[in-house]
Amino acid sequence: MSAEPRTDGLRPMTEVQISQTRDFVQSLEQESLPYWDMVEVGDVLSRELRITPELVILYADAVEDYNPWYEGWRMNIWHIPGESPFGPAIVPPMLVSHFVLSVQFDHTKPFAIGSIHTFHDSEILEPIRVGALVRIEAKAIDKFEKRGRRYVRHVVKVVDVETGRLCFRETRDILSR
Amino acid sequence: MTEPHEASRQAYRITADTPVGFRLIGVKKKAAIQLMGSRLWGRFNPNHWDPVYAAQTGLKAPIQTGEMSSAYIAEMCVNYFGADFFRGARFACKYVASTYANEVITTHGVVIAKTPKADGYRFEVEVWAENQDGEKKSVGTVEVDVGTSRPTLALEPFKEVAP
Repeated sequence: MSAEPRTDGLRPMTEVQISQTRDFVQSLEQESLPYWDMVEVGDVLSRELRITPELVILYADAVEDYNPWYEGWRMNIWHIPGESPFGPAIVPPMLVSHFVLSVQFDHTKPFAIGSIHTFHDSEILEPIRVGALVRIEAKAIDKFEKRGRRYVRHVVKVVDVETGRLCFRETRDILSR
Repeated sequence: MTEPHEASRQAYRITADTPVGFRLIGVKKKAAIQLMGSRLWGRFNPNHWDPVYAAQTGLKAPIQTGEMSSAYIAEMCVNYFGADFFRGARFACKYVASTYANEVITTHGVVIAKTPKADGYRFEVEVWAENQDGEKKSVGTVEVDVGTSRPTLALEPFKEVAP
């Protein structure tokens, strides 16, 4: 990266793309509270997520993980049952952990950019089939300061709505700006 | 059921006989700005993909989300533990340093303990992800049951859902 940061410093862009990028970044700078101020200990947020075959492919491709166990979608055929040791295609083990962000950051409020995920302690309890409807619940259990930094801790449960099975459990910390 | 990447899987697999001290061969990935700034990962936070914004917040370059490193470590674990990694496993991970755009990240693992459990073992593996200069970015532990008898778990296949 050059000493003077440039919008196109890490990938080629035309003048039009640079202008669009600066517009987009500007649009993200909306009025919002720091995450620390948005969360109270005891807050519980919950959402349901249908883990479609396309969503799984999107995730797996974005980490370049081409394990065929995750394929419930294939080019030309589209939806397929897939194959895994549990029968049909299954969801990558840490996929639901990523989507916790969309629950613990209250999507009905302006998004506070600049927070960083720093820690997780995850239990992968049962495989989740591709296509499952899961409920992700995040409860704020602590806010603490460490070496001058402010952290918010959540505990998370992910339940398969259709079977009622607890599939995933996690404790995670967010460093608030 | 045929295992994914069957030939590789046979060669690189932790079994009940695997000793403490065994080293896993990890996966290697480049922190590609195009992936870091994708809608799935960091599009909503320009610290993950915009050099200008990252510099304004004091970063020397855009940083990858920690969850990408966790996914890499999980991929290594699925390579070595297979289906066992999806039942009763634990993965604790701390993001100790930022992963910057264009760094090459490699995951690592070492078996540090195996404790008898039922008719198998609970394996404990120290895991980490580091860059091309050997700087650790993510550190943690993984626990997985291997060789333990469990009831068969058969999932229902996906059925189309009306929008």
